[in-house]
Amino acid sequence: MSRNLLGIRHLKNEEIDELLGLAADFKSRILGEKPVPKMQNTVLGMLFFENSTRTRVSFEQAAHYLGMKSVNFASGASSMSKGETLKDTILTLRYERLNGLIIRHRLSGAPALAARHFGGPVLNAGDGQHEHPTQALGDALTIIERKGSLSGLRVAIVGDVEHSRVARSNAWLLSKLGAEVRLVGPRTLVPQQMAMLPGKVFYDLPLGIEDADVIISLRLQKERMLEGVLSSIGEYSAMYQVNRESLAYASPDCLVMHPGPINRGVELDDMAADTGNSVITAQIENGIFVRMAALYWTFATDAQIETEQGEN
Amino acid sequence: MRTLLKNGRILDPSQELDAIGSVLLEDDQIVEVGEIADDTDLDEVYDCTGLWIAPGLVDPHVHLREPGAPHRETIATGTQAAAAGGYTTICCMPNTDPPLDNPALVDFILDRSASPDAGGVFVAPVGALTKGMAGVQLSDLYAMKRAGIVAASDEAYPIQSSLMMTQAMEFCLQLDLPIMAHCEDTTLTAGGSMNEGAMSAMLGLKGIPRSAEEIAVMRNCLLALHTGCQLHVMRVSSWGAVEMIRQAKFLGAPVTCEICPMHFTFTDESVGEFDTTFKTLPPLRTQIDIDLLLQAINDGTIDCIASDHSPHASHEADVPFEEAPFGTPQIESSVAATLTYLTHKGVLSPLETIRKLSTTPAQILRLDAGTLKPGETPVAQVCVIDPDVEWAFDRHRTFTKAKNSPFHGVNMKGKPLLTFCGSEIYRDALFNGSRYSMPR
Repeated sequence: MSRNLLGIRHLKNEEIDELLGLAADFKSRILGEKPVPKMQNTVLGMLFFENSTRTRVSFEQAAHYLGMKSVNFASGASSMSKGETLKDTILTLRYERLNGLIIRHRLSGAPALAARHFGGPVLNAGDGQHEHPTQALGDALTIIERKGSLSGLRVAIVGDVEHSRVARSNAWLLSKLGAEVRLVGPRTLVPQQMAMLPGKVFYDLPLGIEDADVIISLRLQKERMLEGVLSSIGEYSAMYQVNRESLAYASPDCLVMHPGPINRGVELDDMAADTGNSVITAQIENGIFVRMAALYWTFATDAQIETEQGEN
Repeated sequence: MRTLLKNGRILDPSQELDAIGSVLLEDDQIVEVGEIADDTDLDEVYDCTGLWIAPGLVDPHVHLREPGAPHRETIATGTQAAAAGGYTTICCMPNTDPPLDNPALVDFILDRSASPDAGGVFVAPVGALTKGMAGVQLSDLYAMKRAGIVAASDEAYPIQSSLMMTQAMEFCLQLDLPIMAHCEDTTLTAGGSMNEGAMSAMLGLKGIPRSAEEIAVMRNCLLALHTGCQLHVMRVSSWGAVEMIRQAKFLGAPVTCEICPMHFTFTDESVGEFDTTFKTLPPLRTQIDIDLLLQAINDGTIDCIASDHSPHASHEADVPFEEAPFGTPQIESSVAATLTYLTHKGVLSPLETIRKLSTTPAQILRLDAGTLKPGETPVAQVCVIDPDVEWAFDRHRTFTKAKNSPFHGVNMKGKPLLTFCGSEIYRDALFNGSRYSMPR
């Protein structure tokens, strides 16, 4: 039985452990130039209805390492621009005999809709403001590599939490793995109902990152100023920028993370982004291995996965 | 032609009547209710033992989609669905394409609803309050009233300008025309697709805050208080909105309101994993709201029950949640949902159930309906309900064109089995054939 990876919220801890175990295994094999399983008869549809560079490249790399073939689907050049519904596009790809779909969409829940009509693995590569499960898995792997485990770690997610699928997936994942999650940002970007996510809400940066072991800084979209959500970039930076000064409140070996693309000088300054404990480039590299794991896990049966991990 | 509905529980709130008895029809009129003096010489007998005999039900809020969207519903299919739902009089909403903002379209609706392929129920049109429902210029309300509208509403395009609403109320007061208001401050709801709360936060969907409804309810109630115009608040969903209405009534404002079964049955958690059958406006709220709404239904703050039957084609609803339209087909499940979730739970007595489904909506909109009194309605309007029959709602076995019902597969207790509007217009398969006889 194949399965989908639509989000983190409904994953069981055993499933998360499987995924992270596979990712670590794939990483050591690729870096050690050892063979990885090949899934050569598998054709993936890459449906990026919203722009993406890193996630798309990362999935293509992952597919390449696993010997899969990927087919790009550009929504602008396709029948979607002729008014075809998402459902019909998905049905078309199903009967074009694609084996799996990777979907990025501007609307929350679009991958769930695709999964209802596709009948094979569907992987969410980011949907609206809902979830971005492979980003969170890559972030968790990056933290675990450096801290051993997430259990008991204080992880602050800082910035535009409301509009961030990365924040949601990370809040679910890291809390499931035992971390103390904090959601930090202005009231307009961390509204009351965000308290329903696993994590404690802080409106004050120094309090929110006090003794933090990990800070995940989120991208601030400049359009938020026009919506009246924030006064100015300057004020936002003064209150919430992760920089040398604010990092003093965090634990001395606090990891600095960012899902990219970074607005340098807005949510992070150069010092926080480039030096010391920044692991932003490691996040990108680990993204490939968790996506390999996600592809392998969604296509393979449980029995196959057990054998694979047993070989370690 | 003499027809006897025999030995049922007669529930007629217009006469405060709750007693076992019979109803005698002669041709298309009710001639006697209760103990029938002369029950000989009958053409037809319906044995209603164990069933309720009530005035034909009245739905103040139905979308028939014609003109403009016959793929969603037509006047014919919508009225057939209404008859199957137990209704004999329904009010159709003006948000058609083009909008119902002129007397010619009122004529069109009335003609179509009287055609032989329609369901045989009375259709009372609600006219657009402003031209094109654009909120800028009042419609020709005087001419439309003469053509037959029973109320005015801009439905899902609520007037945002308080000045415009004040003027609309003054004008409608002069015409003695109730205003039906969907209450929403659209500056707070733009882009929203479900209740703002835990579920919207988890699903990453922009929320519709309860304050958007409450602000608009409060404003409209205040304007009704100050102008004296009759205001009917459509589909309340938040407990705060109901509190505003309670206060307005206390202050003496001429205000009534309705609730739709969706809002006392489901919460925002029903949306689950982006299930568009639970996308409605105002959005499904929370269990706290339901608890307080049930109280308000019980104490009479909420006056009546409306289906808000809002049909859409399946392909329109099988899209990502934010792109799906608001609303679902309701008219064939609303009575069963009312019986299941209100009457059988002790929120409403049988007589109060019928009051909220028939007599009160008829009184609010001054319709010739909602009573079994002989001669009070143009033709006999009667609904026979089995309050106890257990069945599961099946969206494929409906008259409406729309199949995305949120009640699909839900176990219900109670169902309308017979509908009379002048003559029998609906007989349910669950009405046992042995109950029907033709003595002559």
